[in-house]
Amino acid sequence: MTIRLRVNGVDRTVDADPEMPLLWALRDILGLTGTKYGCGQALCGACSVHLDGQVVRACVTPVRRAAGGAVTTIEGLSPDGNHPLQRAWMELGVPQCGFCQAGQLMTAAALLKAKPRPTDDEIDQSLAANLCRCGTYPRIRAAVRKAAGLPEK
Amino acid sequence: MLCAMRRVFVAVAIVAAVAVVMRAAMLEAKPTQVAQPTQPVTGARLRGPEAFAGIADPAERSRALFLEASRVLTHPRCINCHPAGDVPHQGMTLELHYPPVVRGPKDRGVVGVECAGCHQDRNLELARVPGAPSWHLAPIEMAWVGKSPRAICEQMQDPKRNGGKTLAQIVEHNAHDKLVAWGWEPGAGREPVPGTQEQFGRLVAAWVETGAKCPPEEARP
Amino acid sequence: MSERPVLITRRSFLIGLNLSAGGLALGIFPAWSRADEPSGKSGKAPTTADAAEEAKAPGLNPNPFVHVGFDGLVTIVCARSEMGQGVRSSLPVLIADELGATLARVKVVQADGDAKYGDQNTDGSSSVRNFFDDLRRAGATARQMLVAAAAQRWNVQPDTCVAHDHVVEHRPTKRTLAFGELSAAAAKLPIPAEKSVTLRPRAELHHLGKELPFIDAAAYVTGKAAYGADVRVPEMLIAVIARPPAVGGKVLHYDPAPALAVPGVKRVIALPAPKAPYAFQAWGGVAVLAENTWAAMRGRAALKITWDAGENGTYDSDAYRRELAASLQKGGTRARNLGDVDAALAKAARVIDAEYYVPHLPQMPMEPPVAMAHVRGDRCEIWASTQNPQEARSTAAKLLGVPEERVTIHVTFLGGGFGRKSKADFVSEAVLLSKEARVPVRVQWTREDDVRHAYYNAVSTQRLRAGLDGRGKVVAWLHRTAFPPIGSTFAKVKGPTAEDLQQGVLDLALDVPNVRAEACAATAHVRIGWYRSVYNIFHAFAISSFMDEIAHARGQDPRDVLYELIGPPRTVSLADLGIGKLPNYGAPLATHPVDAGRLHGVVQRVTELARWNDRKREGRALGLAAHRSFLSYAACVASVVRDPERTVRVDEAWLVLDAGTIVNLDRVRAQLQGAIAMGISNALFGGVTMKKGATQESNFRDARIAGIRDVPRKLHVEIISSDGPPCGVGEPGVPPVAPAIANAIFALTGQRIRELPLLRALRV
Repeated sequence: MTIRLRVNGVDRTVDADPEMPLLWALRDILGLTGTKYGCGQALCGACSVHLDGQVVRACVTPVRRAAGGAVTTIEGLSPDGNHPLQRAWMELGVPQCGFCQAGQLMTAAALLKAKPRPTDDEIDQSLAANLCRCGTYPRIRAAVRKAAGLPEK
Repeated sequence: MLCAMRRVFVAVAIVAAVAVVMRAAMLEAKPTQVAQPTQPVTGARLRGPEAFAGIADPAERSRALFLEASRVLTHPRCINCHPAGDVPHQGMTLELHYPPVVRGPKDRGVVGVECAGCHQDRNLELARVPGAPSWHLAPIEMAWVGKSPRAICEQMQDPKRNGGKTLAQIVEHNAHDKLVAWGWEPGAGREPVPGTQEQFGRLVAAWVETGAKCPPEEARP
Repeated sequence: MSERPVLITRRSFLIGLNLSAGGLALGIFPAWSRADEPSGKSGKAPTTADAAEEAKAPGLNPNPFVHVGFDGLVTIVCARSEMGQGVRSSLPVLIADELGATLARVKVVQADGDAKYGDQNTDGSSSVRNFFDDLRRAGATARQMLVAAAAQRWNVQPDTCVAHDHVVEHRPTKRTLAFGELSAAAAKLPIPAEKSVTLRPRAELHHLGKELPFIDAAAYVTGKAAYGADVRVPEMLIAVIARPPAVGGKVLHYDPAPALAVPGVKRVIALPAPKAPYAFQAWGGVAVLAENTWAAMRGRAALKITWDAGENGTYDSDAYRRELAASLQKGGTRARNLGDVDAALAKAARVIDAEYYVPHLPQMPMEPPVAMAHVRGDRCEIWASTQNPQEARSTAAKLLGVPEERVTIHVTFLGGGFGRKSKADFVSEAVLLSKEARVPVRVQWTREDDVRHAYYNAVSTQRLRAGLDGRGKVVAWLHRTAFPPIGSTFAKVKGPTAEDLQQGVLDLALDVPNVRAEACAATAHVRIGWYRSVYNIFHAFAISSFMDEIAHARGQDPRDVLYELIGPPRTVSLADLGIGKLPNYGAPLATHPVDAGRLHGVVQRVTELARWNDRKREGRALGLAAHRSFLSYAACVASVVRDPERTVRVDEAWLVLDAGTIVNLDRVRAQLQGAIAMGISNALFGGVTMKKGATQESNFRDARIAGIRDVPRKLHVEIISSDGPPCGVGEPGVPPVAPAIANAIFALTGQRIRELPLLRALRV
């Protein structure tokens, strides 16, 4: 089945099983490998992308749901890696292995869009389902605060 | 008080839907004798309103009908998303939802972890994520966890706690809502609520028709 | 741990850049402002260092690690795998500092697997501690040659010249020549013998222990870093494998038809069943090869397979726990013996006795194992997120019956390793499947595969017994530990050897006159493997919990009792430990003794930071633990509170590490923060269980790890400043965390939990 969708501002066509999760359409068909597979069951958040502005777990979102929609992945978060979150992430040295960070960043970006000055509780709630085995959480919190222009703790 | 006249709402998330005719036919074999509210019924069987025809007093019958319907209403498949706090439950033992999510301002999660960020319009077998259209939590005023059938019964008729539905709308909601319907088709590995949605809808309708009486506090199905 | 590796075993003069340094990950210091282009995408075979191009770029290349081009670009090879520890931002800096290079003109290239780099097994917290001097020497060799070339040019004595900031300067005249101007001449000079290479004084290593640029940061935050699953080559198929539930199980019967009926599925291939010892063999099962991952997953789900459960098909982790306890009762091989424990226990005024249990722990890196292999005739090219490319290479060569030279292995970024990816089993699968399918095959493990078919950390049961004299002083210490050791994965063994007890049992400084430790029998029924800090996890849990128990039994402060048990600051000799030898993580005792003073030191510092006495007085529930591992010393204070949702949670933690000289301060700090998170996972949620040989847990829902809400907002790490020889940093932070939490829970609830995960046993 042919599905049309907009990915990072570009119209794309995907010829795939409509039930194929968006994750595999992005990675295996469109070659956008910044979005990661971590669990396949919407438990870890590594595959978080935006669909029409909302965070979805691409590993459980059938590509048919994205038909006619707009998808943003880490590759499209900013044109040149200078989203305030990406800058804060680099400045504070957030990543360790880096594998979960695309998902963390996409979730955090949606958070800041909805809540430009989030509280620590709001940060924790929104990122509660984005797991990081390296344990970068303290720096994730700090970097979200930094990107939001909140004072250092 | 004429409950049937009252305007009642329920924006209940989890209770009604498409009739599953085949299963209904299979499960329709029911006792003809008078059903006692306290009589235990096990497994997936749900008695239809016919089973209660022998209860002469309409008020008594209404209470018995509600108690039977409460076997659906208090089933984990339903109450998991009618939590008394900010976190939904899952499984048959009401463990807290994992991944850790919260209700959010509109009962649809918070930004980044909205219900619809994971739950699709149907169950996903490989990923094991349950799904149905408009997956969301019941509002806090519709919390059912820890409540008796009587408390739920009163709640369902209280306009402040049922989302502003008339009793007729409640019947309709329970009988046909697609998210409610999920309870009977919860996906592989999950125990469905008893009976069928069609049966459940008829129970609720009969309960309303008989005056929407509530069972005593201590009564359990 | 293995012998100290010998690096640079031969003069390895290559014309141009050494050709096999063609890994995926490439970066330039500082990477933020410059494009970082790890390749491996869009249908092109991923080799960042274009061999043909770079062969044309001659320059100074005195060893496999460093190359100085005519343009002055310094290329440094990172031969260890990047898995989140920041090794690519650390090791190259040592070379660059010795060389006198400007980091902004240093390119880092990831090495392929090749013996010429010395041991590449990125494991055992060994990258800095084992390569510190060797890598400096690699840089110093190149520097000496550049200096010699400059001295010749100026006709001056080399010792009047210094290299700094990418130039060689003649000190008396302040003349300078850039590295690029010197590399051609330097390349023609003889390579100085190792003994004539002089290392700089420490003070001249300008970046050592400072805030360093994070070379891969930009790649990580833009999605450009290429991990195992990001490698794409033409004609590639993706394989997802249905594996028998228990290791050693076999396929009795399967029907490929339903899988082949799934659109996109191309092949269904049965893998050979492994024979014990399982080592790095493929687990066996049936592989579904498809055009895309989704089709492969659906194809696997459609397979109907009948399994023969095999020799481990009755393994039950609950029953095994009882077996381990029985083994402790019997006693075991004496691994440590000082004085007469039995006599001292018999005379003791009071005996404290406790048994501890830690279940199998899976590593669960965020990236499940992935490897791609392309077998063509007698050649094989592999891309894998492996911690141990040399092992993967030799495993592949053996499987194919070809010399190692025919196998090329590229190392991608690793989405976490934690020991899981030091095993080559997933590479074996890719090689077998590519050989059979005659196309490149990328094997994708699902999370379920990862949880169910890991090389688990050993399950352990331990019994500790202390004899106290009339005044409460500990005069006897008996430690029995039973666990199936990692050796069981490679040979038939009946239990831990004395050497296996080096991790926390033999090297425990104790000021107790009678000490005995015993290694008790335990047979493995699953694959046992390394997991970040390995046996130290359970040894530290038992020992530090037990010390806390002794303190409470005596009604004394746990810190005071800990100091008393460790004894006064001193170097503890083998005789004082009551052992004949100590593997000591491959390091000589002369440079890395068992140092009670350093253990005391981290306890002192961490309790200062935590304001131990004050906070306890304020009513905070604190727990303390300290542990030596990988030659380093770490101590943790954890604070716990009740939580309506999660019963208890850690609300603050302090962790102090003494690891000698630190290369990359910020990455070490990051790893300590991470160690707290992993320690919390181990302590509160960790562990898998088996029934009929099958692991019952399957994904993050039931094999939980700490999320952002589980890790305290108030988290304090400190690294003790030291000029001492470098010690391990990746692992040593983990062991003290779980017992500190258990001890804090005791302080909060009065409940002594002697098993992990703590939350499962906690009575609310």
